[in-house]
Amino acid sequence: MSLWVDQYRPRSLDDLHYHQGLSARLGSLAASGDFPHMLFYGPSGAGKKTRIACTLKELFGPGVEKIKIDQRIFLTPSKRKLEVNLVQSNFHIEITPSETGNYDRIVIQELLKEIAQTQQVDLNAKQRFKVVIINEADSLSRDAQAALRRTMEKYMSNMRIILCANSTSRLIAPIRSRCLLMRVAAPDSDATGIVLDYVARRVGFDLTPDVARHIIEDAAGNMRKALLVLEALKMQSPDLSGNLSIAKPDWETYCHKVADLIVQEQTPARVMEVRAKFYELLSHCIPPTVILKTVAERVVERVDEALKADIMHWAAFYEVRMRVGSKKIFHLEAWVVKVMSLYKQFFYSMDLTGFD
Amino acid sequence: MAVFLSNGLLSGGQKEPVIEPSTSAKLPSFVPTNLLNPIEEDTSTSTRHVEPADVNQGLSGPPTFTLDTETTTKLRSFVSNALLSGAEPVDTNQGPSARISMLNTETTPVSRSFVSNGLLSGTEPMEANQDQSPQTPILNTETTPASRSFVSNGLLSGTTSSTSSFPMDRPLQASSSTLQFNVQARTFSGKAVYIRKKSKLLTNQPMQQLSSQKIGKLLDVPIHRLMDELSAATAAILAAPPSREIATKDNAPENTLLVDRYRPRRYVELIGSERVARDTMTWVKMWDWCVFGRKKGKKRARDGDEELYDDDEYHRPRDKLLLLSGPPGLGKTTLAHVVARQAGYEVLEINASDARSGQIVDDRIKPTLEAGATIGSKKPVLLIIDEIDGATGAGDSSATFIHKLVQLTQQRSKKKRNGQKNGPEVKKPILRPIICICNDHNAASLAKLRPYAYQIRMSRPADIHTVKRLRTICDAEGLKTETRALGTLVGIARGDLRSCLNTLQFIKSRSDEVTEAMIRRATAGTREADNTISSALNSLFNPMTRKRVKELGLTEDQEGRYVSRLSQEIDAIGKESSIATGCFAHYANLRQLDANFSRYEKANEWLGVYDYMTSAMYSEGEFALSQYIPYLLIPFHPLFQERGSARVERSQADWEHSQTRRTNEEIYKSLAGCIRIASGKLGGSYRQFMTSPVLETEFAPYLNRIISPPLRPVNSQIVRPEERTLLTRLISIMASLELRFMQERAEDGQLTYRLDPPIDVFVNYDGKRAVDIAVTRYAVRHLVAGEVEAKLTGQRVDIVEKSKPSFRSFFGSSDRSNAPSRTRPGDHADGPPSKRIKVDLADKLPTDFFGRPIDLTKLTVANQAHQKRHAAKCFKISYRFAEGNSAAVRRPVKLDSFL
Repeated sequence: MSLWVDQYRPRSLDDLHYHQGLSARLGSLAASGDFPHMLFYGPSGAGKKTRIACTLKELFGPGVEKIKIDQRIFLTPSKRKLEVNLVQSNFHIEITPSETGNYDRIVIQELLKEIAQTQQVDLNAKQRFKVVIINEADSLSRDAQAALRRTMEKYMSNMRIILCANSTSRLIAPIRSRCLLMRVAAPDSDATGIVLDYVARRVGFDLTPDVARHIIEDAAGNMRKALLVLEALKMQSPDLSGNLSIAKPDWETYCHKVADLIVQEQTPARVMEVRAKFYELLSHCIPPTVILKTVAERVVERVDEALKADIMHWAAFYEVRMRVGSKKIFHLEAWVVKVMSLYKQFFYSMDLTGFD
Repeated sequence: MAVFLSNGLLSGGQKEPVIEPSTSAKLPSFVPTNLLNPIEEDTSTSTRHVEPADVNQGLSGPPTFTLDTETTTKLRSFVSNALLSGAEPVDTNQGPSARISMLNTETTPVSRSFVSNGLLSGTEPMEANQDQSPQTPILNTETTPASRSFVSNGLLSGTTSSTSSFPMDRPLQASSSTLQFNVQARTFSGKAVYIRKKSKLLTNQPMQQLSSQKIGKLLDVPIHRLMDELSAATAAILAAPPSREIATKDNAPENTLLVDRYRPRRYVELIGSERVARDTMTWVKMWDWCVFGRKKGKKRARDGDEELYDDDEYHRPRDKLLLLSGPPGLGKTTLAHVVARQAGYEVLEINASDARSGQIVDDRIKPTLEAGATIGSKKPVLLIIDEIDGATGAGDSSATFIHKLVQLTQQRSKKKRNGQKNGPEVKKPILRPIICICNDHNAASLAKLRPYAYQIRMSRPADIHTVKRLRTICDAEGLKTETRALGTLVGIARGDLRSCLNTLQFIKSRSDEVTEAMIRRATAGTREADNTISSALNSLFNPMTRKRVKELGLTEDQEGRYVSRLSQEIDAIGKESSIATGCFAHYANLRQLDANFSRYEKANEWLGVYDYMTSAMYSEGEFALSQYIPYLLIPFHPLFQERGSARVERSQADWEHSQTRRTNEEIYKSLAGCIRIASGKLGGSYRQFMTSPVLETEFAPYLNRIISPPLRPVNSQIVRPEERTLLTRLISIMASLELRFMQERAEDGQLTYRLDPPIDVFVNYDGKRAVDIAVTRYAVRHLVAGEVEAKLTGQRVDIVEKSKPSFRSFFGSSDRSNAPSRTRPGDHADGPPSKRIKVDLADKLPTDFFGRPIDLTKLTVANQAHQKRHAAKCFKISYRFAEGNSAAVRRPVKLDSFL
């Protein structure tokens, strides 16, 4: 028995609750025998991986569900050992190259070549090719993507690649053009409601529309989050009644606190305070871009209309810098100082106009 | 002749070697020039003492005549020459030097006839001889007053074997040809006794050794006897404390660096903190017992140091290493060498020019130290490891130099008592002192060394001492100086004596005068003396102190030019990232009036650019950028410099944060491991939670809420049905993810249950737990822990197969349990098996316990063996290949273990 989010995950294309058109298309692709390379993209919690798994099942049958997980060790040119977790069945292999950071190119090259050069030995297999699923394709380094592009053409007969990414923007164009793009949109609130109801029915309790609405609002199109919230609620107050408050993840609450601090006061002392909070967040391994995004959104909620665009602009600006740079805290603080400065300038100019 | 007496004695008092012209050329001997004058005056006052000397001369043969033919002034000059001959033919008398040398050679036999010389250089038989001398009218000659001086003469010429090698010893040969090889003495009965000359030994020995030996001998002679033979004037001089003077070599002065020429060679010449020198000496002396044997250490032992040596059978000091640290140029290496030589050691030096890998310890250091002496030397060896902070030592590898060194010194001779018959395998402990020298005693590579070392820090001596020493050197070198100029020099060099001397040498090559202006010119662009991260931060955030500006003699304009100065300083340190972090940590502490944050914005802009550049440098491998990096930090100076602001303290926040981050990453990793197991076990798609942002932002916080339901702490049998379902649900989730509650005893002895892996840290921010998650109470955790364990054990049994004993007997008896036992990554984190049993017993449902006797996990250890035998008989074993199960362990098994 496992968590609901896993337990009631659809296992085949027919079980999927929403995006029926997409499911039908995937089904026909799998049946055609002319399966292309694919790129699934869409926001987190929309059901990309679920769909990939369902497609695989459609392609190869229930054999793909027999998976084993093991670790492979790759050697970098500098003799450093890289451990990569591989999930594989007889028909497919699933990797997350971004685990290895800068060395993802080596993983991609070695692993893909190895797979591509071996043919499917199982004569009963439905397809002659194997499938390689690459998770978090958008965090692949440029080198790795370049290594991928030729492989995709060369070994087409033995291998298909399914990429899974949050957005296509950070994939190089040659890769995008080699794939069939599949956008998996976040489920709308109706779809989420249907799924929540379905899960509640399967578990065996009644989900009042009121609670469901709360959860849907909180999840904002993230199905995984919605189900996790549902289970957390159910565990904490088994009867799902009364004054329910949906707990935000702690880091989010904390980010909001930071945003409030920024808006309340703009002094050097406050800069230091905010910095300490950022350190705390970073040390909890919350991705810095997520921190910046959450704080910025919250700040924007609380400031004057005239400032919103600027604040968001600078957040985007420093987010780019953060991705390029390595010292995340520098850029977070740079943004904070910028916002404080903007806020102060705005405040003073307001005051002055009031005097006129 | 009295002059000679005094001279000889004096030089003895000065710990000087015997002044012998033949050796003076080689020996770096030294005669205080300022002592010269009083002696010369003495000659005039004590001319009456010359008479016996004259007798002596007459007796000794031809040389006296040559002397006598000289005028009194000549005698005087001869006197001074004799004095000087010990030293280099120096100073102003370059003109007459030829004459002096001539005189020297001619009068050598005379100068040899110092009584004091005889005393000083005489070996024991001689002394015995001398003791006899007053009573017995002996030794070749007639009258007693004369004989004494002659005795010594004879003795002396006998002792110093240089006679034969001496070029101009015609007269000597004439007078003492019989004494060429033997020394003649007579007993009371008048019988001649020939004592063999000692072989030439002393002349080539280093001066230090020589002088210390002489001192010993000197003091062996009762002081009153010596005093008798001294004139009042010389006694006074002897009583005067030895002034600090610089030893000078008399070989071609232009060929050696000033630094080498005026390097202190004796303990008394050392400059700097006396305490440091004394501490070092004391530490070295603590080895005496061990190195030179009990005898020498006796006195020390009586002082009450016995307990110090108690734990060491060799009576070594507790810290077997000495770590001497301090900025460059203060004479650490010199101190170590001087102390070592003075204490009677041969020095083995290992410095940065030698390879210093861990292997060196085995190959070179260990054999030498074990042998106790270098090849061809009788003296014990003392190891000096210079510049040890550059040695390999950082890192955890056991092959580093430092690690091996520490290991070497910490070896204990456990096998020693069993006897040494064991052969070469017996590890001998190190019985020789080791002195390590470094600049930065905080260097990371020394971290392992520090606990085992006695640390002595050298600091910059007061400028006045350095100036004084420089002044003496300048005088000796004939440089005209002004104290002010020297003070400036010392200030610029920050007390670095070596660099001062080098500068002086540079100046000397051009002119004979040292002025302040010249020093400024010569030192232009000299590096900053101490380069640490905090010093760089301080110069970034503080303007130069007025004092420093003055020291460097900068004009207002030059002071304002900070860019090249700071970039050099930052560049010299080479740790831009630490400096950048320091700048970042510090700038917001400055409460400057900055209404619209413009300065802060600029600072952050620079930091951003810095980060951009460094990242590009490392990720793209564009290391050509590295030379521009220091400039990106300089803007902090104009932005934030403030006179009189507090010193910059390096903040640890960034480092601490990175440490916590690392531990948290580990926890995430173990959580991911749990998920992996779960997904392997259940075939589910848990693995999708393992990916990075999902795990931290969604899975971890909600999982924490899911596993902390509001349960009442009651016995599991009497819970209400709805709570029962909640509990079962919780148990199954926790078991599927292999989350456990581990029992632990806190510091105060209270038992607690800790979540393992401790994913509950992710709901703790600022040390506070999220408000909506109640801390489950001990009793609840206890209940849950038991259930989870039971569940996990049950799963394990399910997997292994029902009839098999659980993995516990796997450890107990290897004869039968060859079952494909599960080895899981999580297993090693478990407590010892016995603890597990206890928990199981206490928390098992009774029905389970009695209903299923097959489940061996519930059995106590006592009847386990019995049960095993029983089980082996009762059950038929069949094996089935579990498809997709990769956790099988393959091991060789005998057939009878199946039967």
